[in-house]
Amino acid sequence: MFFEKYNDKTDGAIRGFDVKSPRVKLICILIILVCTVFGIVAMYPAFWVMFSGFKDLKEFTNEATLLPKEFSPSGFVETWKKLDFAIYYKNSFIMVIGCVISAVIFNGLLAYGLAILKPRGHKIIGGLVMWSLLIPATTSIVALFVNINRLGLNNSYIPLWLSYGANAFYVVLFKEFFEGLPKELIEAAKLDGCNVLQVFTRIILPMSKPIIMVIVIFSVTAAWSDFLLPYLVLNGSGKETVMVKLYSYSTSRTTAIDMIRAIFFSIIPPTILFTLFQKQITDGAAGGAVKG
Amino acid sequence: MSRGQNKAQSPMKAKTSRAEALTVKKKFITKSDVFAWLIMLPAIVLFAFFVWEPLLESVRLSLYSARGVELQEFVGLKNYISVLHNVSFKAAFANTFKYIGWSLIIGFVVPIILAIFISETVRGKSFFRIAVYFPNMIPGMAVSLLWVYFFKPGETGVLNILLSKIGIGPHVWLNNAAWVIPLIIIAMTWKSAGSTSLIYMAGISGINPEYYEAAAIDGAGVFQRIFHITLPCILELGKTMLILQVIAVFQILYEPLVLTNGGPNNASLSIMLLVYRYAFRDYNYPCAAALSVIICIVLIALSGLYMKLTKKKED
Repeated sequence: MFFEKYNDKTDGAIRGFDVKSPRVKLICILIILVCTVFGIVAMYPAFWVMFSGFKDLKEFTNEATLLPKEFSPSGFVETWKKLDFAIYYKNSFIMVIGCVISAVIFNGLLAYGLAILKPRGHKIIGGLVMWSLLIPATTSIVALFVNINRLGLNNSYIPLWLSYGANAFYVVLFKEFFEGLPKELIEAAKLDGCNVLQVFTRIILPMSKPIIMVIVIFSVTAAWSDFLLPYLVLNGSGKETVMVKLYSYSTSRTTAIDMIRAIFFSIIPPTILFTLFQKQITDGAAGGAVKG
Repeated sequence: MSRGQNKAQSPMKAKTSRAEALTVKKKFITKSDVFAWLIMLPAIVLFAFFVWEPLLESVRLSLYSARGVELQEFVGLKNYISVLHNVSFKAAFANTFKYIGWSLIIGFVVPIILAIFISETVRGKSFFRIAVYFPNMIPGMAVSLLWVYFFKPGETGVLNILLSKIGIGPHVWLNNAAWVIPLIIIAMTWKSAGSTSLIYMAGISGINPEYYEAAAIDGAGVFQRIFHITLPCILELGKTMLILQVIAVFQILYEPLVLTNGGPNNASLSIMLLVYRYAFRDYNYPCAAALSVIICIVLIALSGLYMKLTKKKED
């Protein structure tokens, strides 16, 4: 019964006709076991953080155990209040929402220009965008930080939000999607008297829900996890995001158990997002990067 | 593939080009061009501010002396010379090659193994895909802080607890200068292997099944098929991933910053961590910029190589 499913397998080296031999059956079972080990290794640290959060400080620092003695959520509540996580969650949400809006609007409009409107000279911008895809942002972080300081934009969310409006990877994803849209519809809308912006809002946007979804998920995860620029811009301003605060806690005198619970709080939102949208996320990751 | 599409569209194209000829007057810049540029303008301004200008600004900054963010006077290549003569630079430079070397041994191979194994499963395949991708969702900062506890020396470190169950004594992990880089690479691989393996899996599922069937008829066993069909077929993809990985490892920052702060005794100092120290510990922005420019030149060279490899694939 177990091996019958191999008859429907359409990719990979092992085929339905193979599993008749006991040797291949053994290989199949071994492969599943190894994959299970991989899965456990991948998932274990997250579970460890959750379980350790239930311990108290003494138990955590002195006892070499993997599971807590009792499961009471009071410790989590205590740390949540003590480290003011409500504030940093709020700050992170403000940051994430702004970043997502800016990521969708600015990159989307640029891709609309590059993929559909194609004004004279668009290839120069297209080339520059492709080129910036390969130059990682971290190398220019110093100059960017100096620029932000000169404009007096430190201690503000504005540079962080806007930085998501210039993401070459998102532009490429949008562009590829727009290029695949049926041209007839766009031509028809033009003949009906829609101007360029109306074509975008009435024709392109309604058809682009899948790609907008992908960009929203990607940018939510990226903005929540973003550390270096938020740290440089926001640290000490009272607007720190969860990641910025997590790093400050790790370099200050926070107790080990509070630290563990803080890490737990910082991975809850992305975990929820992942549980809700696993298919979109894994498909996006498998497809997007190859084309990019 | 794209050639075929063009052929299919060509009759339609003729029609639209006639329509265009009617509407578009023969001016150098048409009204719709201006409108299109206006729509693209906000994003172009953002790209200029966040991506393109900082690259040029890095070069300018690196050629001046500065007090805080205020430029003082033109000093030519003095900053570059002082960066290159710094003792830490030599350590960071040597470490970068160690990082890349270990990432080729561990970080490059693990995703391929993951992809091949998971591709060969039937039951639980989607679970395995999701499980191995999960670490990628955890923020990089949280991952680094998490590994602090796993690599903790002494009996309460998580790896030491796990190893003590099979009777292996406690190790000092990151405090051992010889281990620190491979261990950081392991932590990095744990986070990123899943997403890379998804790309390989997409590649594997695209392999023509007839190859396998033909090999089976010729009497090739499962392992022979993996070695002689699966691996060669994902070789091109592997080259691309290899360059992308080297580019990523070149900029490794969070892990050494959080796990070791470059230690023990600069054994895990990375070039980006050195930039970080110049800029945000010593507030020496010109030297930080000079080092950034050096990194950038190397990355541009690597990216050029990447472009060349991917171009070849498209032909």
